[in-house]
Amino acid sequence: MRIRPRLLIPVALLVAAATLGTALRAPEPDFAWRIPAPFPRPPVPADNPMSVAKVELGRHLFHDERMSVNGRQSCASCHQQALAFTDGLGQAVGATGMRHPRGSMSLTNVAYAPALAWADPTLHALEAQALVPMLGTDPIELGLDGREAEFLRTVRGDATYRRLFARAFADDAEPYSLRNVVRAIAAFERTLLSFRSPYDRYRYGGEPGAISESAKRGAAFFFSGQQGGCFQCHGRWNLSGGVRVEGDTSAEGTFANTGLYNLAGARSYPAPNTGVHAVTGRAEDMGRFRAPTLRNITVTAPYMHDGSVATLDAVLDHYAAGGRTIATGPHAGVGRLNPHKAPNVDGFALSVEQRRDLLAFLATLTDTAFLRDTSFSDPWRRP
Amino acid sequence: MTARLVRPRRRPLLALAAATAALLFSLAPAAHAQSALAPEPTITVRGDVPTPLVLTAADLAAMPRATVTTTNNGMTTTYRGVWVADVLAKAGFALGPAARRNSLSGYVLARATDGYQVLFSIGELDPAITDGQALLADTANDQPLFAENGRFRLVLPKDKRGARSMRMLASLDVVLLIK
Repeated sequence: MRIRPRLLIPVALLVAAATLGTALRAPEPDFAWRIPAPFPRPPVPADNPMSVAKVELGRHLFHDERMSVNGRQSCASCHQQALAFTDGLGQAVGATGMRHPRGSMSLTNVAYAPALAWADPTLHALEAQALVPMLGTDPIELGLDGREAEFLRTVRGDATYRRLFARAFADDAEPYSLRNVVRAIAAFERTLLSFRSPYDRYRYGGEPGAISESAKRGAAFFFSGQQGGCFQCHGRWNLSGGVRVEGDTSAEGTFANTGLYNLAGARSYPAPNTGVHAVTGRAEDMGRFRAPTLRNITVTAPYMHDGSVATLDAVLDHYAAGGRTIATGPHAGVGRLNPHKAPNVDGFALSVEQRRDLLAFLATLTDTAFLRDTSFSDPWRRP
Repeated sequence: MTARLVRPRRRPLLALAAATAALLFSLAPAAHAQSALAPEPTITVRGDVPTPLVLTAADLAAMPRATVTTTNNGMTTTYRGVWVADVLAKAGFALGPAARRNSLSGYVLARATDGYQVLFSIGELDPAITDGQALLADTANDQPLFAENGRFRLVLPKDKRGARSMRMLASLDVVLLIK
């Protein structure tokens, strides 16, 4: 994703402010988190405290199709609530029809994510990330680059926005700014919290019968250091790599080469998706992509950064084999032998019963309340 | 080789029920161990110890208790259980000033029900030598352990990673290389 150089300064300022801000506890005057015990609160930048008004503004912006060059796409086009804020595509398609090389990432519990993109360890702040789809040119997503002023005029001319901006940024002499747009969107995204899956009710909610015996066996396999070992990258309470929480933002993103490809030559992953390598240029970062949360994983197909694995069943094949083998075609290769593959992706025995149990467990991570929560839904849609 | 030190704490009716459950379980398909009819989980302590043990949660509850609080990704958990050193002492394998000669050439192999294994030297478990102690935990936040933890687990609060804090703990095998 490329943003023009003139945009880098405000992006850098936002990143710096957000990074600095996470070290401080932000005041939250009228905002109440809906986080059940024992889950922690996410970090909030000191310069963008949560407020009910800001979240509501962010929800409107997130779902506003006027925020695109064709007037028909919004953040929600690629991050659809019913699909855990993904879009069901292997690679997202922008407002000009340009296909993104990677798929839309789920926004489930994104407030805790130490890194926000598939392969960029340096992108930590939701405020800065929001600028990427808005203004990015390679690929073009929403396509607002060069149309920022026009979009802000549209916002200023809308009666609903005039009310929302005035409430959300009451102290700002000029509330209609790109900075405030992304602050509001980020505040809304921090409320996309999923803690009500059947597995949560079983594991943390005192409901032993919330999941099946098969799913319990699948969980034991998943969290076993000897069997599945899946928890090593998709572990802890968020079924992800390490998370950032209120008071502790030290976690960094978890990126791994899982042996999805093994092309001949120096680049074992097909361009442009060479993973963290594309950012750092280091050979050892070839093919390293972020380990996302597995919460709501049943509704986020197709899988992997490029959507090249259609089903969870096939995902299990990939990991059980310790890497994917592609027999023919331009991507042919034995992923298991990728020289930069993570050593803990070494395969495991998976019986028919264990596969069924594992899939049953993964299905218990689907939080239907999250997928239907009306506080996340499109406020512009008339019933 | 294991001489079971079984504590007759259960009432006869419960013991009969448990025995029946164990029989039924033994007849069931062996692939999956967790069910309502599963036998009571235990920790076996065996090998080069004077008194091999098979400990239940009730046995552990009657021993000197210890508490460890961990914070992992913002989630705080208070584990309670018994230091492994005290478990070994109950098996007649004293550590500290009363440690037997040649004990430091020994080790403890912890095994989990899923086949995971972790090896500790005896010295690592001796509170007179190091404070990096291992807790044999049976409760988390005052609730019996369950789910992926199994009924028992190890917790090593000083470790940087959780790899040795094994879940689903089943046994501790003590081996002395010089006897």
